[in-house]
Amino acid sequence: MDKIFTNRFERSLAKVTLKLQRLLFYKIAQKTLFMIFPFVLIGSFLRIIQVVILSKDGLIGTLLPSFEDNWFVNSIIGVTNNLSNLTLGFVSVLAAFGAAKYTAKHYKRDDQLAGLTSMISLLVISYIYSKTQPLIFHTNLLGMRGVLFAILLGMFVGLVFKTTSPKIPEIHKKNFTSNILQRTFISLRPIIIVLAIAALISALVNVAYYSHLPDEFMDSLATNYQSKNSGIELLKIIGITLYTIIMSFMGWSGPYSPLDMEKSDPNILDNLYYALTNHTAWGAPHEFTSNSLYHAFATFGGAGSTLALIIAIFIVSRDRDFQTVAKWTMIPSIFNINSGIMTGIPVMFNIVFLIPFILAPLVSLLIAAGAIYLHLMPPTVYPIPNGTPGPLIAFIGTNGSIQALFFSLVDIAISVYIYIPFVKLAEKLKKIDNLALEEGDNND
Amino acid sequence: MTNKKNFKYLVFLALFLVILGIPSYLWNKKSVKTMAGRYNSPMSPIIMIPGSSASANRFDALVKTVNSQYGERHSLLKLTVHTNDTITYSGSIRTGDTRPFIVVGFQNNKDGYDNIKKQARWFNIAFDQLKQRYRFNNFNAFGHSNGGLIWTYYLEHYFNDDTIDINQMLTVGSPYNFEEKNSNKRTQMLNDFIKYQDKLPSDLTYYSIAGTKLYTDDGIVPLGSVDAGKYIFEGVINHYTLITLTGDKAEHSDMISNSQFITLFHQYMIGNKNGQQQSTNKNSR
Repeated sequence: MDKIFTNRFERSLAKVTLKLQRLLFYKIAQKTLFMIFPFVLIGSFLRIIQVVILSKDGLIGTLLPSFEDNWFVNSIIGVTNNLSNLTLGFVSVLAAFGAAKYTAKHYKRDDQLAGLTSMISLLVISYIYSKTQPLIFHTNLLGMRGVLFAILLGMFVGLVFKTTSPKIPEIHKKNFTSNILQRTFISLRPIIIVLAIAALISALVNVAYYSHLPDEFMDSLATNYQSKNSGIELLKIIGITLYTIIMSFMGWSGPYSPLDMEKSDPNILDNLYYALTNHTAWGAPHEFTSNSLYHAFATFGGAGSTLALIIAIFIVSRDRDFQTVAKWTMIPSIFNINSGIMTGIPVMFNIVFLIPFILAPLVSLLIAAGAIYLHLMPPTVYPIPNGTPGPLIAFIGTNGSIQALFFSLVDIAISVYIYIPFVKLAEKLKKIDNLALEEGDNND
Repeated sequence: MTNKKNFKYLVFLALFLVILGIPSYLWNKKSVKTMAGRYNSPMSPIIMIPGSSASANRFDALVKTVNSQYGERHSLLKLTVHTNDTITYSGSIRTGDTRPFIVVGFQNNKDGYDNIKKQARWFNIAFDQLKQRYRFNNFNAFGHSNGGLIWTYYLEHYFNDDTIDINQMLTVGSPYNFEEKNSNKRTQMLNDFIKYQDKLPSDLTYYSIAGTKLYTDDGIVPLGSVDAGKYIFEGVINHYTLITLTGDKAEHSDMISNSQFITLFHQYMIGNKNGQQQSTNKNSR
């Protein structure tokens, strides 16, 4: 095995990964991500339509005439919202199902019922007790943001099934359908326990509040400590960038949203006013803002510069799965919607990709900061339409600075270069331990 | 090294970027030109003024209740204007929050017409600073008790509606005739308010809530005094509505924790449309 890896770093990273891949959490998380991938993919295409085409602030929407009162367009918007909310906006529920199913299967318990129980328990936890609307949920717990929580919940449900219900006897396996009633009663105890716990959590804990708490904290840090010193501002932006990237690696999204640029930060408004009065972005008072650094240079294709990963796969990968995923997720990634590639490769929780996922945006950001500091290019100051492709944000947000376009291209080239060795390594590891053909999944 | 098929995708990617880039570049060039005339942030804050002897923390519980009851996430920024015209800030506006609550309190929060005049001037200082900082072009106004009087004085003497729009105003127990029950006995303040009524923004929609206990007052403010607001607003602004609230927690100070009031507050100050927008924005990725 040692022969495959070219250097010591690769070898040790491979060792760590292989060790991690043996963990139950890791296996379950990966299988679950594969399971939700098709829905995420469909959802990302719908989000393009939603955000880029139909929204007034979207890249293509701004080019189109206003259609506010057109019933036909409005019904298209309605249907897209519906489908996107129930695919991409609902993946955590599916993930809860998958994680519980795979955990229960691993311990040879009733996997269907475990999955269904877990699904319901997630909905119970995110239920909003409202007097006016009968069935509403905290939506942010059900979408991509909630995936980590859903997987952990699913595993917990699987473990409850393991500890409180007996194994499924062999006779039932052969003739499962005729014994549905018996099968139900075997699992009744864990179902009741799980639902009771979920109900208790939903009644006692303000889940939405706690799920926002870390972001709230980072947000107040970001907005309350605005320093005149640009060095401190830069450090702050790097800090929040790191936090955002690491959080998206775990299925959360941090304070910097990949789709919406910041429009209400006082520094950014200051810059915009300067640019509008002086008719140039050069010499804007705040060189380093989240728009001029993070949004313009560290989100090629979404958090973690995943568009660079797709390009890297096109250049070096020979693995058919990687190529298929790259092809399918390329278009959403152009519009900075990276949920597809996050679950399809998967990048999420995948320790091999953690390093480039952090490094590529960070290096790009530092190069951009250096270029702005040395006055080689102006900072990005103008608001841009939602879904503007990552490599074009700086160009359009500076109102067409060729220098900004040049540095975007340099940054994307470097990001691709950073991703390439890790794509190769991931391929080698995939050969050794092909997760898709894991035991336990074959008898489905 | 790489096979031809993949190369095709790379070319496609590059072409796609160019095709998207050119029109959006041209569009942005045009939009920057139009923006040079005027640009405003998408923020539409709800600016609140507490009543006499209350600090900027007066509405903490209200904001918390609204956020948890409606599953929304409005941030809360609190300003205190000191007697020497300086302003201290606490709390913050979350990035991207278009409907934040901003509370403006005063170090001198005493009752009386003279104090209200002073407080309106202090409020003007705070308001200018907020406008400068956040560049919003419209807002909703909320005042509890004397807070409503400060709003009225501010709107008549300081507010300039050429550059900024006030969408809706909501007040609770604002005594336009102070403790006077009989609207025929007009206080100096009420007379002044009526005198300058034509300075009020004509497109304003105003909801005034009065609490009553035993038909006449809310324990502190007489119904007649709140109702006297009609002499100021009726016929001058777009809509003037008086709402009478009775039952549990309809006393002057309790009113802002009354569940009926919270429903009204949410309906008129935040509205349902924005709540929906917020929730779709939240899981954007």
